Amino acid sequence: MRGPFIRRLLGPQNRHLWFWIFVGPFVLGLTLFTYVPLAWSAYLSFFDAHNTVSPTDFVGFDNYTAMLGDDAFTDSLVTFLVFTAFIVPATYVLSLGLALMVNRLRWAQAFFRSVFFLPVACSYVVAALIWKISIFNGVRFGLANTVLGWFGADQTAWLSSTDPPWYWLVIVTVRLWLQAGFYMVLFLAGLQRISPRLYEAAAVDGARPGWQVFRHITFPQLRATSVAVVLLLVINAFQAFDEFYNLLSDSRGYPPYARPPLVYLYYTALGQEQNLGLGSAGAVILALIIAVVTVVQARWFGLGRKED
Amino acid sequence: MRTPENPRDMRDALVGVGRAVRLVLLIALALLFLIPFYLLVRNGLSSEADITSPGWTFFPSELHWSNIRELFDDPNVPMAHALLNSSLIAVLTTVGTLLLASLAGYGLARIPYAYADVVFYWILGTLMVPAAVTFVPSFVLVSSLGWVSTLRGLVVPTLFSAVAAFIFRQYFLGFPRELEDAARVDGLGYWRTYWRVVVPNSRPVFAAVGTIVFIGAWNSFLWPLVIGQDRDAWTVQVALSTFTTAQTVNIHELFVAAAVSIVPLLVVFLVLQRYIVAGVERTGIDD
Amino acid sequence: MSMSRRRLLGAGGGLALTGALASACGSNTGRGGDDHAGQPVIEQWYHQYGEPGTEQAVRRYADAFEQANVRVQWRPGNYDQQTAAALLTDSGPDVFEASGPTLDQIQGGQVVDLTELLSEAKDDFNQAVLEQKTYQGKVWGIPQVIDTQLLYYRKSLLEDAGLEPPRTLDALIDAAKKLTTKEVKGLFLGNDGGPGVLAGTPLNAAGLSLVTEDGKVGFDDPAAARTLGKLHQLYAEKSLLLGAPSDWSDPAAFTQGLTAMQWSGLWALPQVQKALGDDFGVLPFPQDGPDGKPAVPVGAYGAAVSAKTKHKAEAKAYVKWLWVDRTEYQEDFALRYGFHIPARISLARKAAKLRSGAAGEAARYATDYGHVSEPLLWTAASKTDYQDALSRIIKGGANPDRELRSVIRKAEAELRRVKKKS
Repeated sequence: MRGPFIRRLLGPQNRHLWFWIFVGPFVLGLTLFTYVPLAWSAYLSFFDAHNTVSPTDFVGFDNYTAMLGDDAFTDSLVTFLVFTAFIVPATYVLSLGLALMVNRLRWAQAFFRSVFFLPVACSYVVAALIWKISIFNGVRFGLANTVLGWFGADQTAWLSSTDPPWYWLVIVTVRLWLQAGFYMVLFLAGLQRISPRLYEAAAVDGARPGWQVFRHITFPQLRATSVAVVLLLVINAFQAFDEFYNLLSDSRGYPPYARPPLVYLYYTALGQEQNLGLGSAGAVILALIIAVVTVVQARWFGLGRKED
Repeated sequence: MRTPENPRDMRDALVGVGRAVRLVLLIALALLFLIPFYLLVRNGLSSEADITSPGWTFFPSELHWSNIRELFDDPNVPMAHALLNSSLIAVLTTVGTLLLASLAGYGLARIPYAYADVVFYWILGTLMVPAAVTFVPSFVLVSSLGWVSTLRGLVVPTLFSAVAAFIFRQYFLGFPRELEDAARVDGLGYWRTYWRVVVPNSRPVFAAVGTIVFIGAWNSFLWPLVIGQDRDAWTVQVALSTFTTAQTVNIHELFVAAAVSIVPLLVVFLVLQRYIVAGVERTGIDD
Repeated sequence: MSMSRRRLLGAGGGLALTGALASACGSNTGRGGDDHAGQPVIEQWYHQYGEPGTEQAVRRYADAFEQANVRVQWRPGNYDQQTAAALLTDSGPDVFEASGPTLDQIQGGQVVDLTELLSEAKDDFNQAVLEQKTYQGKVWGIPQVIDTQLLYYRKSLLEDAGLEPPRTLDALIDAAKKLTTKEVKGLFLGNDGGPGVLAGTPLNAAGLSLVTEDGKVGFDDPAAARTLGKLHQLYAEKSLLLGAPSDWSDPAAFTQGLTAMQWSGLWALPQVQKALGDDFGVLPFPQDGPDGKPAVPVGAYGAAVSAKTKHKAEAKAYVKWLWVDRTEYQEDFALRYGFHIPARISLARKAAKLRSGAAGEAARYATDYGHVSEPLLWTAASKTDYQDALSRIIKGGANPDRELRSVIRKAEAELRRVKKKS
């Protein structure tokens, strides 16, 4: 005894019902655990919310003007742009290079692949600990200083030197080590899909193995993989927090350099400051920037078109 | 890639040199990538004095296997319990995420629905939102549900991975329709088609996504730190952080703990590695 | 549909199991608690103390309390941050120790007024640290122990270099430079180069302060820029130890011989003594300028009660019982494990450990030259801004005058903000 309305709601062959049975639980959870907090943050950003998540003191756009006029926040945005502009190409080149080299191996391929892939299993906590305490500590028993010491160089305080900014070396190498293997595997998969016939044809045409073949065959054939890798790299760069926090923070806070926005907001909203309104305003600004970049990037790569 | 036969010796020689250079480079890089693992083992099995001595020792003259026992006997850090918690959390998170995300991915890819695109973008929209941005409200939400220091609180909010749903959707879009059509002819609905035909034929993808989710769950730090407030709810990463945040740092115990914390993962990883590679090829993660 | 039903049941069973595990995990506190059956449960939080035995001690005290079932949580990681987040929710602690409570926590109504707990014992508490827990005549945290920081120096290294223990900032800078060799650095002020741990201490050494007693910015003075500017010299001359595996709070860098002098806590004293015997001495932060005087920062973790507690009476009774009445526990806590000065004057006076040797000197410095390291009006926003500026001055060689200008502006705005709320 189903009325026409219900029938329309359920769709032909109950398709709508089935759609929601499949997708519903996920969407419900996502809404509850991501969108609700997100909306809550946006709400907080219009209040003076010190130490409270149910504020009463409405301040309009004050938090936004304060955040945009805050040098520390704008500096953090610059930090983050510089970091992204470096880490994305660097990881891309390293992982593609590794994939190309590993792919051509005739023996021990599995061994080398495992070696480069293994760090993916490490956490930022563990990696930061090794980097900070054992490789790049500033004293005589750090590995980097020991090696440099063999050549007579002085001890360098890698994470504390601001001139030159050696801390970038530490931050970047940690991320490269942790990530390169994963993207290498993506590239390996892409390489394996390239038809050998293309290479044969290129050889017949007289293309020299090496650079020419790479430029005209391999690289264009990897386009889809490249797009995916760059997208994932940018997403990950946006989320940069763990290695910065684990390498540079101490019990007294965080130095005023190499401070990406998430770290800065983390201290503003969650640190002792507990300025949840201001922190949320910063978060909303950051989210808007991320959204714009995402849309631009999607247009650039021609994503978002219907694939099927 | 195979170099075609070429009459000129010169080029053969060059290719040979190139190959040698490549191999040397590869070995050098492999050694660099292994250094951190070496340091974990070296520092973990040294005495404190060995680590901090002025001269570098490549390997401790005497292996302090007792460091491992010392770690598990340390009354301040319930390492064994933390390992158990992490395993439980990682397994439940993996199973839950795979179930929810694969169902959602399949629904989005295969069940025609006018608003499927809207739902898809609703999911995609969260892809770029960094967790730290909404961290405080999330915490308040979870604690208002009374989930602090419970397994629920540690697992449930992390189950809804937009990335996983996205990957599954992309994969199912490329899933051969013929298989499903055959099932349809046999009179199977969406539900049974999914479980009887689609899932059994998609094992590599499940293995690939599952491994990545498992690693993420095992390694996550911030959420377990604030939600797992009772010591009984500590995960391995939280236990590990107690060494670095304590007033005094005990380097050898710290490294033993770090090594112990990654061993389970390395094992899972090495065993499942080929599935990940195979899975990546089929997920369309890069299409 | 038999297939799918089985699947569904399977999934349902799984969920039920999850629930069971969750409740098992959540309620398992590892304590029998039979003698506390039916009593209200009080959650008490401590930050993670580094000294062995402290945790067992506080659990012992908690077990001895008769009127409630007190559950101790030992919290690793960034403690202030965790308590701040937890106070926003209903699942936070009932009783917690805090380096504050901060002014924003007090003004935001997150903590309970504890004035009445002190009653006649009030005069027996160290007045400087009690003052820091007092706002508008009300006490918001009961000081547990006094912590203080000192300059540790290796006697033998100074003697070898023909140096006297530095009594002025210039002498300290000079000594740090002369003591620096290829293997050993002159001075360790923390891996950040000093801004974090020093905070206002150099200002006090110049005769100034972070906030004056009448609630104004206390370093709007040319002497401030002059003194802070000198700290850059330490960094520029490479006399500072940076990037040690452990930070200033851990005496490891000092005892391992990585540095000749280190700024660290009084709590480190037993470890230093054990490692170096008599080969060390302690000093206050040396004075600078004509109005300067030696400076020793003091602070105290205080026991506070969350306003969200469901058992306010019991929580307050417990705090009174432990931190006001049971002086034997307070003594045990302060002196048995690490090394702290009891917050009670009477206990500090009779502590034999604090009468002789380096410990005696340290205790005297704290009495003679002590200043509150973090005044109540010095909010976290001011602190961050000042710390950033100090870092730029020390490590970046930034112009101290200009940096301080902008900090003063920000700090004045913060002072206005908190005054407006009262």
